[in-house]
Amino acid sequence: MSAIPRRADIAVIGAGVAGLCTALFLARAGRTVAVLERGEAWGESSGANAGTLSLQVKRNEVLQVSRRAIELWRDFQERDGMEIGFARIGGLRVATSERELVNLRKSQGEQAALGVATEWYDGNRLRDFAPWLGPEVQAATYCDWDSMSVPLTAGHGLVMAVRAAGVTVATGAAVTAIARDGEGFCLQVGSEIVGAAQIVIAAGAWTGDVAQMLGVRLPVAADINMLTISEPAPRLFDRVVTHIGAILSLKQYPNGSVLIGGGWQGTGDLAQGTRRTDYLNLVHNLRVAMQVVPALRHLRMVRSWAGYEGVAADALPLFGALPGVPGAFVNACARGGYHQGPALGEQMAEMILGRKLSLDMRAFDPGRFAA
Amino acid sequence: MKDADLAIVGAGPAGMAAAAEAASLGLGVTVIDDNARAGGQYFRQPPAGFRHTGAMFLDKDRARGSVLAAALRHPAVAHWQDAVVWDMPEPGVLAVAAGEGSGRVRAKAILVATGAQDRPVPFPGWTLPGVVSAGGLQNLLKGQRVVPGRRAVVVGNGPLLLLIGANLVRAGVEVAAVVEAAPIWNRILPALASLARAPDMLALAIRYRAVLARAGVPVLAGWTVTGAKGDEAVTGCRVAPIDTQGRLDRARERSFDCDLLVAGFGLMPSLELPRLIGAELAYDRRRGGWTVKRDADFQCSVPNVHVAGDGAGIGGAEMALLEGRIAARAVARKLGKQVPADDDLRRAWAKRDAFRRGLEAIYAPPASFLDLMTEDTVVCRCEDVTVGDIAKRRSELAGSVTQVKATTRLSMGRCQGRNCLVTLAAMVAKDTGVDMATIPLPRPRPPLRPIPIGDLAFEDIPPPDIPADPHLPRKQRA
Repeated sequence: MSAIPRRADIAVIGAGVAGLCTALFLARAGRTVAVLERGEAWGESSGANAGTLSLQVKRNEVLQVSRRAIELWRDFQERDGMEIGFARIGGLRVATSERELVNLRKSQGEQAALGVATEWYDGNRLRDFAPWLGPEVQAATYCDWDSMSVPLTAGHGLVMAVRAAGVTVATGAAVTAIARDGEGFCLQVGSEIVGAAQIVIAAGAWTGDVAQMLGVRLPVAADINMLTISEPAPRLFDRVVTHIGAILSLKQYPNGSVLIGGGWQGTGDLAQGTRRTDYLNLVHNLRVAMQVVPALRHLRMVRSWAGYEGVAADALPLFGALPGVPGAFVNACARGGYHQGPALGEQMAEMILGRKLSLDMRAFDPGRFAA
Repeated sequence: MKDADLAIVGAGPAGMAAAAEAASLGLGVTVIDDNARAGGQYFRQPPAGFRHTGAMFLDKDRARGSVLAAALRHPAVAHWQDAVVWDMPEPGVLAVAAGEGSGRVRAKAILVATGAQDRPVPFPGWTLPGVVSAGGLQNLLKGQRVVPGRRAVVVGNGPLLLLIGANLVRAGVEVAAVVEAAPIWNRILPALASLARAPDMLALAIRYRAVLARAGVPVLAGWTVTGAKGDEAVTGCRVAPIDTQGRLDRARERSFDCDLLVAGFGLMPSLELPRLIGAELAYDRRRGGWTVKRDADFQCSVPNVHVAGDGAGIGGAEMALLEGRIAARAVARKLGKQVPADDDLRRAWAKRDAFRRGLEAIYAPPASFLDLMTEDTVVCRCEDVTVGDIAKRRSELAGSVTQVKATTRLSMGRCQGRNCLVTLAAMVAKDTGVDMATIPLPRPRPPLRPIPIGDLAFEDIPPPDIPADPHLPRKQRA
């Protein structure tokens, strides 16, 4: 367990992307912040995801947040010097059936109405633009916002940056109880007590457990997403690839390794701490990948794994004040939360600082579920 | 999905012996092996149709291996060649990658006989072309009759070094020296009683020593390699004595010219499959480091999974043959077959076990070889991570094995950590002053070996259940 601070303006529970980004923006505004992490920083969902920053694969409700997040990921790397592995390489979202074509057209229209323009490719134009796509791909939309990042180095970069900004990131520091203390809070961490005027619950899949410490029921489901990485290979494709119908995300890193994901489900149980890949789903995941980029069949896979992702029942972020507990906030459980993390952190800091939010976050108020 | 009474992973000594025994007792056996021909490392067979001129000293082992391999042609044995077991997705089921034949096999019992790998010990220059591991050299000699050099130095620790030195002499290579880290000459006498329990093995060792003596090859005991020299390829090496405290005496360093440096620092069990399924392990430096805990029938802590041979703990081919047979009998007994008493096998096993202990006493290595490394010594060859890279990340992060992995990419390449994780664990153990046994290695994740993604295209499985809206939660509410 690392050193636990006695007091902070704001205590953030959870050192994943949401917690660390919230802490970063609060520290930049001059607040003292302590991040309390029960395991290792970046040790769960944030470190076990694909690092895909695809804008066009997001739901309409989170399109603005997701676009802002891409700007911030870029700033983290280019302005602040963090090792994000960020690259805005553009992305293709493919359709392989008549029904998927209809859905892709519909989605393209909705996104355009929300200010995110994508370009339609099919026939020979598609083959010229992306000759590496398989013959079953009938059409694709191209979005030049779509980007990628490397979650492992991004985590390290973000932890270093947050510490450099003066934030204490305490690991092995599980919060076991929270009590009101006048206007503020007392948090029990092992045998220590941390005092804070405000708290942010950014505990991902464990957010429901932490909210329960304050007597608030906040139901959270835990998905178990699988990922597979290949050996390094010569350049096969140069875009982020996603799918309108089947679940898929594909990208090739600068070292040549291809990361294959999308959110096919592994097996396991959050309460017992178990998770592993599911054989049939893994096979399906890789078959979809081979259908879209046939050259993948010649690559060897070196590793596959499964990570938890906390999700609310409607798969939208839990973002805002914790109902009935003034001074307590929630920032967790966005589907695609890794991607959205920087923007969710920025907006959460604005909310805590009492500023007017630059994005409309009302639809994500945790009050929609709390009972 | 195929079915078997007993699925055997690996067709080396333990796997072949187990297959023969199980088939003769009436079990339906599936043997899955990642080589084109049965034999494993010890009985490695040259490729089919391979011809070489003249008899060679290795032909005796080869002949014995052929006899054992012939047992796999028993009608009750399915021998799956060039096939990689890459996962155990559920108890009793193995996922196999084998080109168009890829799929799964479900077995009532599983015998893991996956053998051993060379212990990686980094030293300056160990990644130069011309530096070959002991197992790698044996592989070239036995499989291809290839000797990758004209003048060799054999360095490291363990009984394989004398064997390799003798094999190289007999293959016509000039051997400049055999450099053994353990001070073996002072230790032979106390161990003689144990060694005498297996007179055949003792005679072999004496024969190897005699071959080296006749060729005038010096055997430096209590010395270690300190570095390989060369720019494009190895041109020589430096060696130094180890004092009684285990420290290098660099003042007495000597050097040899060579174009082949064979580095063998002992073997370690290939534990990927036992570790994947969560089998209980025990740390035993003398048997290769992490070993599998087993009962008297060589069953591990996972029910119906037995582990035999070097893949459980280093004991050599003769022990592996016996363990394979004993484990196969235990499975047959459990499945209701008539099985003779094991007394003779177990007595023979006890003799080999005594010999092994004697050998281990003689060859007990220094506490570690970490002092050989310098700042720019490569620890992870796949991702090119040096001692200095690791030190930088560890000081930034107060890093555990997991954190160093995540931030340096150590162990994330093609070898999946087989050639670096033990070194990293030893570095962490030394820095933090704890025992290696308290530092668990990260659990392996499928595939257990790199497999072609295309292999997954062939198995006939039910269509996927793709959610109508993939954005919604995919699992049941927690």
